[in-house]
Amino acid sequence: MLVWVAALAVTGFVAVVGAETSAFGPAALIVPAVYLVLVLALHLFLVAQRFHGDQVLMPVAAGLTAIGLVLVQRLASDLLLQQLSWSIISAGAFAATILIPRDLTALSRFKWTWALLGLLLLIAPLFPLIGREINGARIWIKVGPGSIEPWEAVKLLLVVFFAAYLEEYREVLTQTPRRIGPLPVPPVPYLVPIVAMWGVAMLVMIFEKDIGATLLFFGIFLAMLYLATGEAFYALIGVVLLLGGGFVVYHLFGHVQVRVDTWIRPFDEDLRFGAGYQLVQGLYALANGGLLGAGLGNGMPDRIPVVWSDFVFDAFAEETGLAGAIALLALNLVFVYRGMLIALRAPTTFLQLLAAGLSFIVALQTLVIVGGNARLIPLTGITLPFVAYGGSSLVTNWMLVALLLRVSDVSTRMRGRP
Amino acid sequence: MTNTIASNIRTLTLALAGAFLVASIGVTYWTIFASASLANDPFNPRLIAASRDRPRGAIVDRSGVVIASSEKTADGFSRSYKDQTLAQVTGYASLQFGLSGIEAAYADSLIGQDPADPVSIWRARYLGEHAAAGKVVLGIDEKVQKAAADALGGKRGAIIALDPRTGAILASVSVPSYDANAVVDPSRQQSAFNALQQDGSRPLINRATQGLYPPGSTFKVVTASAALESGFDPNKKLRVDDPYQPDKSWGDYFVRSASHAHGDFNMADGFRLSENIYFAQVGLAIGSARLTDYAKRFGVGAAPKLDLSAGAGQLTASGSIDRPTLLADTSYGQGELLVSPLQMALIYATIANHGVMPTPHYATEVRDAQDHVIREVAPGPVGQVISANTAATLTTMLVGAVSGPGGFAFGAKIPGVNVAGKTGTAENRPGEAPHGWFIGFAPAEAPTVVVAVIVENTAEGGLTAAPLGAQVMRAALGK
Repeated sequence: MLVWVAALAVTGFVAVVGAETSAFGPAALIVPAVYLVLVLALHLFLVAQRFHGDQVLMPVAAGLTAIGLVLVQRLASDLLLQQLSWSIISAGAFAATILIPRDLTALSRFKWTWALLGLLLLIAPLFPLIGREINGARIWIKVGPGSIEPWEAVKLLLVVFFAAYLEEYREVLTQTPRRIGPLPVPPVPYLVPIVAMWGVAMLVMIFEKDIGATLLFFGIFLAMLYLATGEAFYALIGVVLLLGGGFVVYHLFGHVQVRVDTWIRPFDEDLRFGAGYQLVQGLYALANGGLLGAGLGNGMPDRIPVVWSDFVFDAFAEETGLAGAIALLALNLVFVYRGMLIALRAPTTFLQLLAAGLSFIVALQTLVIVGGNARLIPLTGITLPFVAYGGSSLVTNWMLVALLLRVSDVSTRMRGRP
Repeated sequence: MTNTIASNIRTLTLALAGAFLVASIGVTYWTIFASASLANDPFNPRLIAASRDRPRGAIVDRSGVVIASSEKTADGFSRSYKDQTLAQVTGYASLQFGLSGIEAAYADSLIGQDPADPVSIWRARYLGEHAAAGKVVLGIDEKVQKAAADALGGKRGAIIALDPRTGAILASVSVPSYDANAVVDPSRQQSAFNALQQDGSRPLINRATQGLYPPGSTFKVVTASAALESGFDPNKKLRVDDPYQPDKSWGDYFVRSASHAHGDFNMADGFRLSENIYFAQVGLAIGSARLTDYAKRFGVGAAPKLDLSAGAGQLTASGSIDRPTLLADTSYGQGELLVSPLQMALIYATIANHGVMPTPHYATEVRDAQDHVIREVAPGPVGQVISANTAATLTTMLVGAVSGPGGFAFGAKIPGVNVAGKTGTAENRPGEAPHGWFIGFAPAEAPTVVVAVIVENTAEGGLTAAPLGAQVMRAALGK
């Protein structure tokens, strides 16, 4: 499974470097070589740990990360070394996550700790000294010379917390709910968190100015609520609340209005050079892709502002065409599918919910950003998992892979077939 | 218990797979189905990048005088614009800000991929072989253009001249103008473009086609057309006493006469002396339905079909004439009317062209690199708007407005030529000087040129505009 990653990384780099400079030296091969050694090291590490879990997940994630590196080289080569360093840190975080929590179930015992930590991290950017606003979204905190997006860590913490919380209350709550007519009324222990989460989501949207985080945050919660209860109606209530709240916020706050307006009419004269510029340039890139793409290094995706973090998908689609775009989506879907498979096989409710929730994060992030890039939904600053440039995102996504592998490992061992 | 969670996971996965499918369809739409139209979008930087490495076709006037061309520089080709008086017409081709004007409207022709030449398009798309770019020929006549630019000088406003028989635009000036060379020069494009966008006088707007103004008295030909074709007798004398109101229900609302007139007027007098009260009475006599019908027939409130963008204007804010005072005001060109100079030129071109409205167009031909015509731009007439008889009657009265005794438009006279025309002094917001209009055509017996002049905020109104119209018509007629 790792062989294709190697092939992809090397040919990708050679193609990009070859297209940009007429001659390419051995320098073109150094980055992929370092990366391949890294992935191989991770592989050997897993073997050494007598790991018995899923064999597909890691290579898929590694492949997506490789595509990400190729695209960083293509779109913002000055950021390449940073991204490579982040890959190495991610590998470390991955290994640490595999090693450190001896018993995953222990995670569920400290659920309130996670919830509190998550909440603190979530609102941290709002504090004046450490918070930072970048590109209009206040979702960053200063750490030393750089900034990190605490939100990335929050999503993992949230999934752990939800999984533990829902597992605990599930017994009490799956009794037949009271009904008004045909509609089930959520019992209080569900109702309270639904409303609380909705409130927090709205606050995030208003004060941190980030629709993407709101969507993801609330989406994860609703998905896990559904998983635990099987009541699609609860999710429906949530969606209605979100839309209703979104409608009110749209009318009250300029930054939300701008996002929605650029989505509805990006080509209008007042927007195409202003707020809609990025999206319009992204759509041009998609259109230039056609069936097979312009070829790596031959398109003009660099016309899109901040392409390396927000619009990697459109950039990839321009240069590899519909074929490449669909392949990228399929790769993500394979990841999600394997993740869900791990969830199905997990031995306890907590682990089931945990694995499903983690897989859902990857799926939702992919859908939200691809949907935004292709103007299916309003554009948000969510990153394309593993592929988009960005340290916080890469590190947490690799921790997510490690957690999934741990779940998978546990269930294989418990079933007694190595 | 565990089973329900398992089945929930399955359902969720299925839903996610469905969502991925939707996303794939969305991506397919943009990459495949919307691909062609986005690829030719004037603002797509790829379209302009294509001409960075190859010369872009030239834009020339009707006798081949170059207006815009590509010139080789150290790093590829750059665009050079020769005539600043045509800035809003030719537009610009900027890698940064996209295309505008003729550069946008004929973008494909200027890179050797005219729709009339599909072979070149296929060769470019599938073989990467690019035909040498041809050129776009405009109907602009250098002499007339220069006369129009000189006539307007630094006065804010617009002049448009066209051939009423074909709709070809002979001259098009919009002041203030700008230097398109600054917009395509990488070293200063950003500051130049920002300055243009923030400029309150809006130099990027083509006032000749997009500027919207109240037409004032020049609109009276529409009221007259509606009246003549409703059986209204133009020789019947109407009593004019300034100020005018038909009955007391108008309260303190009056129609005013510019010359504080008292007397009996027929239609020819109404045109010659530009009497508002006469035309207010005509409008009230024929009713709002007739007037609305003719305004629509003449294209008021609808953007004319043109190879550049054109304004639509309005008959009234609500679209209908819903009260008698508004009917009276609209009848002499005030009320809530808004029109572009091009629309007014087309109304007079209809009268000049025996009642048939021509379709206006800036370009006349697309030629290939070997100078063969590959496409003629000849959109044909819009249709018969008024009868040839009505047109002839109006022409006679418009000649009277220029050369009859006391004719307001006397400034448009040309020795040895019968000029038909009408001035207008369009009232503005309170406290602002009125806009001055002149629209006319010549020679009245067989018109070959129609000109519309608007001078913004001029105390003398139409009196300022009429001599400018004469200068342009003289250049067009070679007098």
